[in-house]
Parts: sequence; structure tokens; C-alpha cells
Amino acid sequence: MPLPDASAPAGGAAKRPGLRRLADNVAVALIATMFGSFLLQIVFRYVLNRPLGWTEEVTVLCWVWVVLWGASFIVADADEVRFDILYNVVPPRVRRVFTITACVVLIVLMALSLPATWHYIAFMRRERSAYLGMRFDYLYSIYFVFAVVCILRQARVAWLAWRGLEPYTSVAPPEDRIP
Amino acid sequence: MTMPSPFVMCVIVLLVLAALGLPIGLSMIAASIFYLLAAGLDPGTAAEQILNGLYNSYVLLAVPLFILAADLMNAGSLTDRLLKFCLVLVGRFRGGLGHVNIVSNIIFAGMSGSAIADAVGIGRIIIGMMSRAGRYPVAYAAAITASAAIIGPIIPPSIPMVIYALVSDASIGYLFLGGVVPGLLLGAAFMVMNAVISRRRNYPVEPPVKLRDVPRVTFDAIPALLLPIILLVGIYGGVMTPTEAAAAAAAYALFAATVIYRAMTRRQLHTVLLSSAKATTSVGMLIAGALAFNYVVTAENIPVAVQHFVAGFHLSKTSFLLLVNAILLVLGCLLEGTTILLIIVPIFIPTVKALGIDTVHFGVVAVVNIMIGLLTPPFGLLLFIVANMTRQPLVAIVREAAPFIVAAIAMLALITFIPDTVLWLPRVMGYKG
Repeated sequence: MPLPDASAPAGGAAKRPGLRRLADNVAVALIATMFGSFLLQIVFRYVLNRPLGWTEEVTVLCWVWVVLWGASFIVADADEVRFDILYNVVPPRVRRVFTITACVVLIVLMALSLPATWHYIAFMRRERSAYLGMRFDYLYSIYFVFAVVCILRQARVAWLAWRGLEPYTSVAPPEDRIP
Repeated sequence: MTMPSPFVMCVIVLLVLAALGLPIGLSMIAASIFYLLAAGLDPGTAAEQILNGLYNSYVLLAVPLFILAADLMNAGSLTDRLLKFCLVLVGRFRGGLGHVNIVSNIIFAGMSGSAIADAVGIGRIIIGMMSRAGRYPVAYAAAITASAAIIGPIIPPSIPMVIYALVSDASIGYLFLGGVVPGLLLGAAFMVMNAVISRRRNYPVEPPVKLRDVPRVTFDAIPALLLPIILLVGIYGGVMTPTEAAAAAAAYALFAATVIYRAMTRRQLHTVLLSSAKATTSVGMLIAGALAFNYVVTAENIPVAVQHFVAGFHLSKTSFLLLVNAILLVLGCLLEGTTILLIIVPIFIPTVKALGIDTVHFGVVAVVNIMIGLLTPPFGLLLFIVANMTRQPLVAIVREAAPFIVAAIAMLALITFIPDTVLWLPRVMGYKG
């Protein structure tokens, strides 16, 4: 039986490469849009002397979304920043116990906060952004997606560990940069 | 026995989750939710803090934009051309490629704000050059690459300084200026170290570049060399905010890579954008976790408590700074830099202000300190990166890096004791601190 791809970006649905590519492309589009509207803003403010308000909103929107979208769908479990000194020195069996414990705690806490999170985001329906009039509940909905996906992903990691597989080995450093 | 307070339990949850190997960002979010539940507060507050914090911190946009700019420069051959130019400058001295490594990092620092991007971008090329035909031990090449890379975020622009500005309300522009002299001092200290080691081990000199090739190599590097100048004039001429300068840098790097050097295909651009998105997510999750956790820290009035606690010892400015340096150096061996900046440093800010320490001085000292933390085992991220690039054992690299770490700590002491090394340039440019 082939080993499951431990570096798959998300639990459940996103295992298929097609969906994975789609998730990547959304992130690329968000980064490109953020960059593009920032440039537009600079050109309009300094070259044409006619500041645009909406570009600022688009850039910030893309920033919020790229972080939470990326955390939900594109960054592999093994690539996240973690404190792995202890984790790396304990035997694999203990490591799996570690993983399952941490996942269960996270899942329980995230799940307990879900109703209140939903409530907060729904409450934000009354507010709209200043220029584009975007509804904040739509804008902030990505956090709810993140919270749900986070629960699913951690459940998958715990399940892999339960079955005796190494869900992620963090020996190699993440290629992705952090400053 | 009484129950420990929700805050103490929250810190325990954070430490335990992180020690069990959960990603730091998620650990902080989970610990914050735990606190909110235990203290009987609305658990939706975590989401509220994270979303409003991300949405309203406009200055944070500089982070993804600087990441993008550095990625574009590395992919677009700007880095390669810069290295060739540095070979003309310092290649003919003993240990020449070591000097090239340091000087190119100093220049590259003027366009990039991330030590990791510098180590990957410059190291990818120069480690190969240095270790070809056994001219330098590979571990030495790796060690000097990792060490020189810490100059990147000290000389502006700088992602860690943007993050410090966020937690301290210090001016980004003056923080950037404050990093210039310490960055150059570090570069000089590393070059002295390289010269001494090269002489003792008789490392090679590079064949001098032919005189008629010098104009071409220089001309080739001009578009890359222009970028730091554009950034500095843009920010300090008051033309652009640092965030806008980050976007301008990325736009310029894209222009140079595609139009001037024609070194980038559409496919590569896609790859660069995707890797920037991933890097942005990694940093963004740490920031998100810190936004939630800092709400807890503030709700519990921890920074003020620390201030009162420290006040009880009647520390002088210098002894407080020494204490903080020692704490940060130890934490830097264990924790990742952004986490320290986002969680630990803010706790000291009220004390810093109460003692009358300049927040720009403190910020630069803290950033230099945290950059040294990227070099110190067991959890020095730069060590892992060069070890991964060269397939050398970590121990060998650490041994070779030790003299450079010592030199860096000496420079850290210098800028700690003599605030003018940091504050002179900002003051010349109008800083009233």
C-alpha cells in the first residue's frame, strides 16, 4: 500500500493534485493582486496625484486572505514554524503520542471557539468597508474557513499518527523563508 | 491548593503545545482560546483580534512585499551579477571569496529585508564558487554565508524592524537608519575575522579580473546597484513610506529581471509568487498567533507588571540592556526570531520607555540580537539552511561559524554600550530622540 502523502497541503478534499494546484493558483492570484493594486496606488498617488482609496482596501483584503488561505490550503504541515528540539530527539513512538496529544488539544479548543467565531463574523455583517462597501462578514469569512480546515487537518495528522505513520518529520528546515 | 490563574494556565498550554511540536502560530491561537474560555470571556475574541489586527496593520504589508522583492531578485539573476561585481572589488585579497561573500551581503542587504532570503540567494551561488576544487572547506563556506546573511535585516530595509515598529510604535524610517552603522560594523568585523582566518589557513586569492572586463561587469551590475539607492532616496526623501518602498523594490526587481536581464519566464514568475505566498503565510501565521496572544498579555497587564518588577531592582539603562541582551541571546538559541520579536520584546517596551532608553536604539539592539539567534545552535535557522544546502553536518558548520558568532556578539556589545553608533545617523537625518 502506498504511503499517504504526508506533505499534502490539506486534509480531505485537497489531496488531489488538481485541487492542490487550484489552491496554489488562488494564493498566487492573491499575491499578484496585492502587488498590482499596491503599484496602482503608488502610481495614482505620486505620478497622477489622484490617490485612490480602494486600492488600499484591496491590498489589505489580499493580505488577510493570503495568510489564512495559505495556512488552510497551501502550506504543508511539515513547513510550519515549530519548536522541534524536544520533538526531534524523542523516539518515534513518543513523537506520535506528542502529535496526537497536541492535535486533540488544538481540535477541542478550536471546536469550542467555533460558535463564538461564527457569531463574531456574522455580527460583522453590519459593517462595510469605507471605499468599496465590502461586507465585513464576507471579508472575514476566511477565518472561519481557516478554523474549520485547521480542525480537519489536525484530525488527519492525529489519525496518521494513530496508525503509526510519521505525519511530519521536521528534520529539514522549511525552504520557505521567514525573516 | 488554589487553582492557578487563567493566565498561568494559558502560558502552560502554550509551552506544552509548542514543546509537543505543534506549529508556534497555532499554539499561540490555541493558548489564547484557552485563556478566553478559562477566564469566562468570549472565545470569539481570538478571531476578532486576529482579523482586526491583520486588517488594520497596514504597515505589515511591507512584509510580503519585501519577501516578494528578495525572491524576484534571486530568481532574476540580480544576485549573480552583484556577486561578479564584488569579485572585482575584493576578490584579489587573501580569502577573497570570503570577502566577496560579506561585501555582496552588505550590498544585498540594501535591497532585501530577510536574512533567510539572503542566505539562500547568495549562498546558492557563492558556496559553489568557494568549495569548487576544495579551495575552501565546505563547512567554512557554509558558515561564512550564514554569518554574513544576518547583515541583511540590520541594514535597511528590514522585515524584523517592520515587525518591531508594529509592537513598539517606533518610527520605521528612523529604525531603518539606525541599522545602517551597526550593519556596516558587523560587516567590517566579519571581514577582519575572515582575513585573520584566511591568512592562518592560507586560503586562496582570486585571479584578478582583467582590466578590460571591469567596465562590462560593473555595467552589468548597475541595475542591481541602483536599487538600494532608489529605496533610500524614496524613503528618506520623504517620497514614499517604507511599505510603498517595498512595493517599489519588488516592481523594480520584476522590471530588471524581465526587461533588463530577460532572466525570467512566466513559469518562474509563478514559482516566485507561490513561494512568496508560502513565506507570507508562514510569517502571517506567527503574526496572527501573536495578535491573539498579545491580547491575553495586555489584558493581564503583563508588560506593566514586568516594568514594576524591574523597577524594584533599580537597574541602570545599561544593566537593563545587558540583562535583556542576555535573555534574548538565550531565547534566540531556542526560539525563532519573529516569535521573540512578537511575544517577548513587547513585554519589555514599557520598561524601556520608563528607563528612558530610546526605542529606536532598543529596537536595533533587539534586532541585531535576534539575528545572532539565527546563527546559534541548536535552533539557528540559518545554520539549518546552509547545512541543508551543503549537506554538511551541523556540528562542522557550528565550529566554523563560532569565530563569526563571537565577532557578532562583540559588535552587539559595542552598539549596546554606545547608543550613538545606532542613533547618530537617525539624528543627522532629523530624529529627535
